[in-house]
Amino acid sequence: MNGGPMLVLIALAVGGGLGPAGPHATAVPRAPVAPSQLDTTYGCVACHADKRAAFVQGVHAERGIRCHDCHGGDPSAFALPAAHRGGFIGAPGKVATVALCGSCHSDPNRMRQYGLPSGQVAEFRTSRHGRLLLVGHDLDAPTCTDCHDAHTILRPDDARSTVYPTNIPTTCARCHEDKVLMAKYRLPTDQVERYRQSAHGVALFRNQNFASPTCVGCHGSHAALPPTVSEIANVCERCHILVGQAFDRGPHGRAAHAGKIAGCLGCHSNHGTERVPAEQIAAACAKCHAAGTSANALGMQIQQRAVQATEELRAAQLAIAQLSLAGRQTGDARFRYQTAVTAYEQIAQAQHSLDPEHLDDLARQVRSISRDLRGMASVAEEQRWEHKLLLVPVWFLALASLVLAWFALRHLEGKAERP
Amino acid sequence: MAGRFRRATAQWAAQFWADLKASTDAGLLGILRFLGLLYGPIDARLSIDQAFRKALGYRLAPQVGWRHALGGITYLLFIILVVTGVLLSVHYRPSAQEAYPSLQHIVSNVTLGWLIRDLHVWSASLLVLAVLAHMARVFVDAAYKPPRETNWLVGVLLLFLIVAFGASGYLLPWDQWAYWTVTDALNAMAAVPLIGGAAVAVLRGDPIVSGATLSRFFAMHVIVLPWITLALVAFHFTMVRRHGVAPITRAAAEPGRGRVFFPSHLLRSFMVAVLTCAVVITAAVLWPRPVSDPANPAKLPEAVRSTWVVVDVSRALTHYLGAWGFVGFTLVALGLAFVPLFDRGPERDLRRRPAVATLGLVFFVGFVAAWIAGRQLRNAPGPETLPAATEEPMRPAAGAPLRSLGPSPTQPAPPSDTTHAGREAR
Repeated sequence: MNGGPMLVLIALAVGGGLGPAGPHATAVPRAPVAPSQLDTTYGCVACHADKRAAFVQGVHAERGIRCHDCHGGDPSAFALPAAHRGGFIGAPGKVATVALCGSCHSDPNRMRQYGLPSGQVAEFRTSRHGRLLLVGHDLDAPTCTDCHDAHTILRPDDARSTVYPTNIPTTCARCHEDKVLMAKYRLPTDQVERYRQSAHGVALFRNQNFASPTCVGCHGSHAALPPTVSEIANVCERCHILVGQAFDRGPHGRAAHAGKIAGCLGCHSNHGTERVPAEQIAAACAKCHAAGTSANALGMQIQQRAVQATEELRAAQLAIAQLSLAGRQTGDARFRYQTAVTAYEQIAQAQHSLDPEHLDDLARQVRSISRDLRGMASVAEEQRWEHKLLLVPVWFLALASLVLAWFALRHLEGKAERP
Repeated sequence: MAGRFRRATAQWAAQFWADLKASTDAGLLGILRFLGLLYGPIDARLSIDQAFRKALGYRLAPQVGWRHALGGITYLLFIILVVTGVLLSVHYRPSAQEAYPSLQHIVSNVTLGWLIRDLHVWSASLLVLAVLAHMARVFVDAAYKPPRETNWLVGVLLLFLIVAFGASGYLLPWDQWAYWTVTDALNAMAAVPLIGGAAVAVLRGDPIVSGATLSRFFAMHVIVLPWITLALVAFHFTMVRRHGVAPITRAAAEPGRGRVFFPSHLLRSFMVAVLTCAVVITAAVLWPRPVSDPANPAKLPEAVRSTWVVVDVSRALTHYLGAWGFVGFTLVALGLAFVPLFDRGPERDLRRRPAVATLGLVFFVGFVAAWIAGRQLRNAPGPETLPAATEEPMRPAAGAPLRSLGPSPTQPAPPSDTTHAGREAR
């Protein structure tokens, strides 16, 4: 067994012959190596070059974590039986992966320095995914490495990461759009498609607005679960604070928190988060409240207020456009218009309390400003009409001068011819 | 051919030098002649009131008729432009921040500001028409032939100055139409080989049309161009006085048989002036020029609708005849500009000048047709199209809630919420 020349050969193959070579190479203590550099004294990469390429892009490589920290084995050995000895575990199973990741990530003393939470595994145990995997030993359920790549662990704010906001829906869809897999759990597979069409999806994908929730915004990430009926309103209210406050004040809010109705979903659905246009408010009410009931009548009342306020606002907008096109100053008008828009936006919130008096109050603000702005436009219009009156004296003077000049000419020229 | 051209050029140069000497040979009262207020020479040997009386008694050439009023109308429109322009400059502020608000101030608050502004706009448009009509008259009467060819060339220079006035004045309102029309025009100009790029760099003063461009255009419009124009106009009038009104036929006009300047000619001039002023005021009152939104380099307007005659004409030409139609028409115009250099025969009857007559007919009829067609193409913005043109700028505020009650899908939520998604993603 002549290990020397063989080691030289491997070292040449791996490091281009630059590293220290010879029988004593293994005895040299390893110096810290930057992830982009190739450590020719590290045995794993002699065979697993592809894994190294994936691993060095990630944050674990930056932190000096190496293959044997997760997989065990002897990285100082360059030949197979020796390298896979000494606590070698190979690719860990799904259940073992949770424990393996948790061995570091559940330790607050280790995670504190990186500003990372340490409760992921505890959260995972409470999630549907975690219970299926850890309690039910269902190997179709995901483990850590199904959402976070096993080797390329990227920061969540890295656009290549599977958990970057715009990538999250695709990551979830890898399983949740799989009809065969989801049939087993009797789950629908259209969530991501409906999410893309929703206000949240448009905000995220089209406007790159990362304040918009992805899947994990409502369901939680490691503790992923659909909210229960009584929880729904609380989930939405985390972002829609003012709407939530109004909702909680009204009868719907009380019923929702008692778990009797499905919170916001009753009118807006879950993944599609459909808007209810002003002119369809009554129709939304009629889905539950039959015609003739007082609740149904209230719905029509609210719709009438909202539609009217919409028209008032549009009229105000038109008035400003007219003023602007006539070259009039519109700074004051635009300022007042913003006040009207604020009141109008508050109508959108306040209607969730189903309090017609509060709505009336806001609608009155919109109406009064709109009336003022239309007044300004019509005053400008009247002034334009008054300007036209100027033509009367202008043409009177012009025609009078022309006639006088004509007669003077005839008189003068007649006189000139006569003598 | 070459010899003929050289002789013609030499003859013209000698004539030009004599004219220039004559135009500088003027006494104090000659200033009045420069401004076109007095006809005939001022007799320096007489006392001032006698000289003035003699000048008033000047008899015009017998062939002078109403059609000779077109030059006067042009001059009157120019005076209206000077007066209204000075009044506007009192309130107008040539900076990117203040130009648009100062325009609104003129229209909203200044006494008769709305009228002054629209008088300025309408005089500018009508001036182009008056100038072209005047040129057509000169062309038909063959008044550009020697010895008056210098005056034709000076007139052509004045036409270019008017175009430059229009182009530089167009930017000053600093609204979207102005901004993007000028951007368009400068881009087109930059495509001119050799000098285009450098000229645009000087005119624009910035990689895009900006406050620097506005300052340059303002300086051109109110300082540079007016003085050049005034000098050329004075020269133009001196030429008219020196060579007299062109005879209609080959027979020289008999002196002393025409109309007397005062009061007969002056009264006629007065009638024409009154009518011109009334028409300009009527147009300004009835059809005020709409104002677009403030200039925004980050946003293209839905349609760039220039209301300027020259733009209308080139729009129609490029639309119906293509780029080569535009080039061809420009060549016809250039041919007309230099017509006195090759059409020097004594023939004055239009029917006996078929080649030149065709050239002129193509240009003038083509210009008017293209102007009308260009107006149609522009699809003039009226009050009924207002919302479409102006809805856009207010969209961030109002467009969203108008669609439905709630924040818009196109509107980002307030940035204070950013932490939610970020925390959840982690």
